[in-house]
Amino acid sequence: MLSRVADDLYWVARYVERGIAVSRLVDVTRHLELDAGTEDFWAPLVGAIDLASEDVRFYLTSDTMNPDSLVSCVRAARTLARGVREAMSSEMWEELNTLYGSLATPTTSRQVRGEAVSFARLVRERLQAFQGLAESTLAREEEWHFLELGKFVERADGVARVLNRQSHLLAAGQGSDPTGPDVVRWLAVLRTCGSAEAYARYYSLRVEPARVVEFLLLNAVFPQSVRFSLVSACAALDAVGTLRAAVGNDPGPAARTLGRARAQVELTAIDEVFERGLESFLTDIQLLIAQASDELSATYLRDQPQPGRLVGVARATQLMAAQQQQQ
Amino acid sequence: MSAAPRVAPTVPAYRPDGFWDEMFEAPGRVRPHYVDLARRLATLAAPDVAKRQRAAELSFQAQGITFSVNQDPSGPEKTMPFDLIPRIVEAEEWARIERGLEQRVRALNLFLHDIYHEQRILRTNLIPADLVLGARGYRREFRNVDVPLGVYTHVVGSDLVRDGTGTWFVLEDNLRVPSGVSYLVENRRVLKRVWPQIFTDYQVRPVEGYPQDLLDVLRSVAPGSDAPTVVLLTPGVHNSAFFEHAFLAKTMGIDLVQGSDLFVDDAAVYMRTTRGRRRVDVIYRRVDDDFLDPLAFRHDSLLGVPGLLATCRMGRVTLANQIGTGVADDKAIYAYVPTIIKFYLGEDEILPNVKTYVADDPTERAYILEHIGELVVKSVNESGGYGMLIGPHAPAADREEYRTRVRDDPRGYIAQPTLALSRHPTWSGDHLEGRHVDLRPFILFGRDVTVTPGGLTRVALRGGSLVVNSSQGGGAKDTWVLEA
Repeated sequence: MLSRVADDLYWVARYVERGIAVSRLVDVTRHLELDAGTEDFWAPLVGAIDLASEDVRFYLTSDTMNPDSLVSCVRAARTLARGVREAMSSEMWEELNTLYGSLATPTTSRQVRGEAVSFARLVRERLQAFQGLAESTLAREEEWHFLELGKFVERADGVARVLNRQSHLLAAGQGSDPTGPDVVRWLAVLRTCGSAEAYARYYSLRVEPARVVEFLLLNAVFPQSVRFSLVSACAALDAVGTLRAAVGNDPGPAARTLGRARAQVELTAIDEVFERGLESFLTDIQLLIAQASDELSATYLRDQPQPGRLVGVARATQLMAAQQQQQ
Repeated sequence: MSAAPRVAPTVPAYRPDGFWDEMFEAPGRVRPHYVDLARRLATLAAPDVAKRQRAAELSFQAQGITFSVNQDPSGPEKTMPFDLIPRIVEAEEWARIERGLEQRVRALNLFLHDIYHEQRILRTNLIPADLVLGARGYRREFRNVDVPLGVYTHVVGSDLVRDGTGTWFVLEDNLRVPSGVSYLVENRRVLKRVWPQIFTDYQVRPVEGYPQDLLDVLRSVAPGSDAPTVVLLTPGVHNSAFFEHAFLAKTMGIDLVQGSDLFVDDAAVYMRTTRGRRRVDVIYRRVDDDFLDPLAFRHDSLLGVPGLLATCRMGRVTLANQIGTGVADDKAIYAYVPTIIKFYLGEDEILPNVKTYVADDPTERAYILEHIGELVVKSVNESGGYGMLIGPHAPAADREEYRTRVRDDPRGYIAQPTLALSRHPTWSGDHLEGRHVDLRPFILFGRDVTVTPGGLTRVALRGGSLVVNSSQGGGAKDTWVLEA
């Protein structure tokens, strides 16, 4: 498939996944506000601390100046999708297009302020429907694999970021009290990653910081964990690489970098993570993901002009001149 | 035709107003092929029509079947207004239109081959040579290039109109990058969805085969490859017809490429893919000649592919339509199409031209200047309803301006009598009103000529308006060609 199309599909998937994550965050900040009241609870989740609670929801849902707001994510995904609509199923395109159209009406934007939470839920459902449609309407060819790659790279990066924002609390000795407000805090972390129920089912234990980190970072079977996401991203990249002719034994720099990140979460135990320091461990993972994303672009997506191009043009021009003299 | 009056109860107040009406031969008298539709319309209540109209609009919106207005990329995307009442063309009438269009397209392709090769017609006195060679659409870079099957215009969209007597005329030929065919297909699909009942009384010829027919044509002109790679070249999402480009690429199952996705190397065109370069054999380009190749035409074009013209000249890639077809839809050369048909085919034209005064000719120019208040004056190279003056409706200042323009640049203008375009009942709020319509059929030319059975009926939604272009507030109707 065209490199430009692959690149755009990859980013459509990233923005859709990012939108889903942001929408969960809106939900969670509202819960925290009602439960605990103070902003030090949700501020670490959002990563923006200079905002009052009403404003934070505006910032997360409809602030067009915030490139990661819900509205910005939907717009970015839809704008890219419009240019590559022929590469996805009509159902997928219509899902994004209708969602975008409903955001553009003035009544919606008025509702957003009052009902940010239900608005965010609605957007999340539509974005998840998009992912579901991709799952059931696309052949398992390059289009699908690039969408998968985008989705899981974004998810791994997002979950790692959420954990990283909490890590300094652990380092400062806070957030480890198994009773009281810390339970609320770590439950919120799980909810932000859509993982609270799965955690409860998996451990059926109290919410303990180390367990939460282990679950979100190292769990092999839960699809929201960093490990699961990286394994899936590597599989998608492998699938693309297998399709790519003349690749030889070298899987390419992006696959190598992503593979290193995967090895970190596959082959490190939770106590070793804390021994190394959670923050530095997570920062490493995030850096590797960012590097892989760049390498991906270089390898597959923004294929540079072929070196022969200008030479070819010059030769074509010469041939053309020669032809004219024969007439 | 039976003598019994055919009354349509829904539309007692409908008045043809002395125009040729597609549905009514006289007030209250429905033409035979519209009788069943009229009966169906009689059972309708206004709120029901409004509901279906709304459903159609939502369907277009959800699919993003939109165009952007005023070339403004950040501006709103609009859906083309769609009128539910279909236009019906009888089989016999269609057969004549089909023959007329085929004749025209064959003659125009022979003309294009001739003026880029031997120039036989220019050595007669039938057409002034400088009119042809001085046309903006004439590309001397393309002289003596042999094109596959001798076909220059693989896709043609000609505009047909009927006057007050019901006679069909060709108003203009679009031989460069005609658009609108996606609306033809989508209008049918949407009408079937929101109002399936009205199809039960008629046997309507399907139009869904267009993309497959187009793909067959594109494959047939590939330079020597058994399994040619065909792509569609679009200027990008900001082009007003982008929806159509995506629609056609998707239904044909080919790649939708932009200029930056292609490059020329060693006298061949390639596209950049995730698996490396891939050779391209045929480019269905929806980019104008001027923007195709910055080395040959406009140097500032970012939409094209450097080296494309040279590769094309060597016959290593086929463009559809070919470069330089614009000369044959120049509105001054249009006036000579009956002559062209006679010269190359030895036949009289089946579909007549509208009487055209070419300002380049001194006598005709004098006539135009004197009668500007009765004429429609058009710039020879523009389309989309831009660059034209409708004399009878224009204020004195505008007429004066066009007089000056015609005097200053006679080669740039032609004039035609103002036609009393035929009208068709069109839904207007809560009742039917007559609105002026035209018809754009699509003609494909590869090994054979195929006319898609149907066409885009464009309708001027403002009462009395003669301009049907979507950029000027026009809408569309589904067009039914009946089975023989």
